[in-house]
This record gives sequence, C-alpha cells and structure tokens, in this order.
Amino acid sequence: MSTFRLIILILLGLGAIWFAWRVFMTSSMVRSAFSLLAAMAILGAMFLVMRAEFLAVLQIMMMATEMSIMAIFMMMYMMDPGGMGDMDMSHQKKASISMAVVAGMAVILIVGFSQWDSPIEKVPATAQQNYDLGMELMKRSMMIFETAGTSILVAMVAAAATALPFKNRKK
Amino acid sequence: MIELISVLIIGAILFGIGLYGALGQTNLVMIMMGVELMLGAAMLNLVAFWRYLHPENFSLQVFVLVGMTVMALEAAVGFAIATQRFRTKGSVEMEEASDMKE
Amino acid sequence: MMMWILILCLFCVSIYAISVVEHWSIYRHWDFMYPFSAFASSFVQEDVKPRMHDRTFLQTAPILFIVAAVLSVSVLPFAKEFILVKLGTAALFINAAFAYIMVSMVLAGWAPNGLYSMVGGWRFLGQLIAYSMPIVMAITSTVMRAESMDMTEIVKSQYELWNIIYQPLGFILFYLASLALAFLPPFDIPNSLGELSGGVFSEYTGKKLLIFRIGRLILIFSLALATANLFLGGWFGPFLPGFVWIFLKTGAVAISYFFFGRLMPRLRHDHSLEWSWKYGTPLALINILWVGILLLL
Repeated sequence: MSTFRLIILILLGLGAIWFAWRVFMTSSMVRSAFSLLAAMAILGAMFLVMRAEFLAVLQIMMMATEMSIMAIFMMMYMMDPGGMGDMDMSHQKKASISMAVVAGMAVILIVGFSQWDSPIEKVPATAQQNYDLGMELMKRSMMIFETAGTSILVAMVAAAATALPFKNRKK
Repeated sequence: MIELISVLIIGAILFGIGLYGALGQTNLVMIMMGVELMLGAAMLNLVAFWRYLHPENFSLQVFVLVGMTVMALEAAVGFAIATQRFRTKGSVEMEEASDMKE
Repeated sequence: MMMWILILCLFCVSIYAISVVEHWSIYRHWDFMYPFSAFASSFVQEDVKPRMHDRTFLQTAPILFIVAAVLSVSVLPFAKEFILVKLGTAALFINAAFAYIMVSMVLAGWAPNGLYSMVGGWRFLGQLIAYSMPIVMAITSTVMRAESMDMTEIVKSQYELWNIIYQPLGFILFYLASLALAFLPPFDIPNSLGELSGGVFSEYTGKKLLIFRIGRLILIFSLALATANLFLGGWFGPFLPGFVWIFLKTGAVAISYFFFGRLMPRLRHDHSLEWSWKYGTPLALINILWVGILLLL
C-alpha cells in the first residue's frame, strides 16, 4: 500500500513539474495560465493522496477561478496573447536560471541531509479532520484566521482603489 | 520516510521553477505566476509535514489556509497594480518600470 | 446490484426527458424522437476545424466539461446508501466540480480562434464568477445546519423540516444561480442561438458538440439533483421508496428550469452581473446569518 502511494505521489509530482515547466516555456498566454492551473490542480490531487481532503478540494476549487481570472488578465495586458509573433519575454536569463538552480539544489541538499523523524502512518478520518480543523480555527488560531480575513478585505479595498482611473477627479 | 523526502524534493523543484519564472520573466502577470508557483510549493511542503510528521497538529493546516489567502491577496493587489500601470503607461512590461524608483 | 441498474435506467430516462423538454421549450412542440435523431446526426456531421485553432484545448474542452458534470453527479446520493463516491467534503467538492465547468467553457471559447466563441467564453467567465458566490454560500448554509460536509448528513438533517422552508432565501438564490451556471434561458447570453450566433459553441460541430450537449444535460440533471438533496429533503417522502422520491424531485426541478426560463426575458449581461454582485451575494450572507441565528436559538 505504501509503495503504491509512493508511486502515485511521484507520478503526480512529475506531472506537476512538467506543467510548471510548460508555464514559462510556451508563448501562448492562455496556455501558460491553464498550465499553471493544471500544476496547481495536480498539487491538490497530491494533497488528496496525503489525506488532507479539505485542503485538497479547497485548492482545486480556488485555483480554477484564480487561474481563469489570470488568463483573462493575460489576454488583456499582453502585447501578443496568442503567441503568434514569437516574442521573447524573458530577461537576465543566465542569472535567473543559475539563481533558480542554486536555490533548488540548496533546498534539496537541506532535505537530503536533515534528520527526519520516522513518519506516522495513522491519520484521523476526514470527518474528524474537518471537526478538528474547525476547532483549531475557532479556538487557538482564531486571531490568525481573523487577520487573514481582515487582510483580504483590506486588499480588496486597496485593489479597487488602485485600479480606479486617476483622471476622473475633475468635476 | 522516503515518501516525505520525495514530496519535499518535488516541492523544491517546483520552487526552483517558480523562482526562475519570477526572476526571468519581464511581464508582471508572468512574474505573479512564478510567485504563485513558489507559494504552491511551500503549501505542498506544509501538507507533507502535516501528513508525515504531525497528523494531530492542525496549526499546519491553518498555515496552508493562510498560504492560500496570501495567494489570493497577491493576485488581487498584483492585478490592481497591473491595471493602473496599463492605464497610465500602456504596458505591463517590468523592464520599463524603473521609473517607479522616483 | 439490481438497485444500481435501476438507478442507471432512471438516470438515462431523466436525461432523455430533460432533452425532450428542452426541445419543447425552444420549439414549442413535443418531439419524442428528437434526442435520438440529434444523437445520430452528430456522427455524420462534418468535423469542421477552424484555421489556426489551439489543438490541445479544442480536444480537451468538451472532455473536461463532461468530466466535471459527471464528477458533480458522483458525490450526490441517489438514496440512503446509494452514493457513488462517499466523500467527507462532498459539499465543497460540488463547488469544485462546477468551477471546472467554467474552466472548460473558457477553454472552449479560446480554442477555435473565433471571435464569437471567444466573446462568449469571456462572458461566461464573468457570469460564472459572479454566480458561484451565491452557490457557495447557499451550500455553506445547508452545511451549517447539518454540521457536516457529508451529503448524507445534509440530507439526514432535513428529516423533520426541509431546507426549503428552513432557509427559503438560500433555495431561491441556489435556484437562480444554478440557472446561470447551466446557461439556461434568462441567463443564456454567453451562448444562446439568437445572441453571438451560438456563442461558445458556434465553432463546434459533430462529435465535440455532441459531447458538449450531453455534458450540459448531465449538468442540468446534477444541478437538479443537488437542489433536491440540499433543499428538498433528498430521499425523504411518504409511501414510495427513497430512490423514486429523489428522481421525482430531480425531474420536477429540472423541468421547472425550462418553464421558468420561458417566463423570463433574457437578461442583459451587465444587469445579470450587477444583480449577482450587488444583491445576490449580500442576500446569501444574510441567509448565512439567518441560519446561524436559527441554530443558536
């Protein structure tokens, strides 16, 4: 059972990496937005394999809306949204690739050389998990949750205020 | 053990790709995609820690929820800035954005 | 096992009935052979491929559409023990499946490289983002009453009083929002035939269009089934066995969609968005408050 789960996890992970790579390698903007959606949905599937069902479904649901919105903004603001003109949209290529490789290798090395406790096999059932998560949110982590909600509200107001045009001030 | 490590390595690779995107792309929306990818990798790591190390501790899941909130916030504010930038300058290419220094 | 075969037969009969009623609601005469002839004609129709289309999306969009519709059916119970996938977070999962309807419509609008379909796709995106808020919040208030996200628990919580009486506001919002989600008449501006010459589906022909149409019938069925389970007391009812009741309720809701659509004028796009954001979402929040007060009393 454990080996089976491991194989599924690795396959899903490879899929996520492939789609994440496609995000920056395709020239069609809608393709790149929906590749990101596919990568995120596969991350949600990995959460599901790891038995975090609520988070998995939430991730899959939220990302669908968010990436569709991203697709429409890409369409609106890109000079070449269909990818017909073969524009190059990257800069400082060598520096960013080497930076990414260094950071990724550093994380992998840290993962490899750390002492991990032996993993626990038993997880609570889903209904129990939902109950516990609700209790955690409403008791101990209530302030954190409230802060998150308030900051979403602030960001909504700020975003609306920022996006309004400047020029309509005069009567 | 090996499951935990393989999930963490997948997360690390995703983080690397996201970092490349955030550094190497010129367009604001593409940069935001890179940042989202990095946040996604962090959330994957958090869920892996919850599942394999502390399944009884739900603060880790709360942390993932906060991560999702940060993603939504980043999208909202980023799009607002992109809209304003497009209104005033006509493009969201970040190489031309050095005039924001002043 | 026998039960499952029976349920499958009833499912096919309901899909057939929905298709016949839809044909009636457009052309105003009963044609009981219409679904079969339309099904058969899709196979001989020419498969038109637009110039410079996006190859991957053109193929994946219909499949994603039908898969999302089937997934949303799969977590809804047909009777007390008859549920395809028993999921602890089923109420949230329905929302996730409906969100992928939107994704597939945006893909379908983008893929054929046509003007009408693209405008239809973006219109659908706006409409669905606006109308997914009332759906999510109405489902949330039923979850609050059941104190569980399991569909079976939600139905069991309505044993004494159906949710339609307990929270009528939520039912009305869910009903209207599901009309918008399945692009039924008052809200069918993204792809109705008289508007944008077919909108999202204008460039699709043959088997791909067939998959879209079957997927839409399943989507209407799944929305009606969700309404029956969330608000109309699921399998509870006198005299008849549970699965008969659920199909009766589902059929009634699905047919009422078409009768309701006949009575309403088609809404302008900005008006429908404005009503959802300005009135629908606050009303859904008031509904959540109402259920919370009732639960605390």
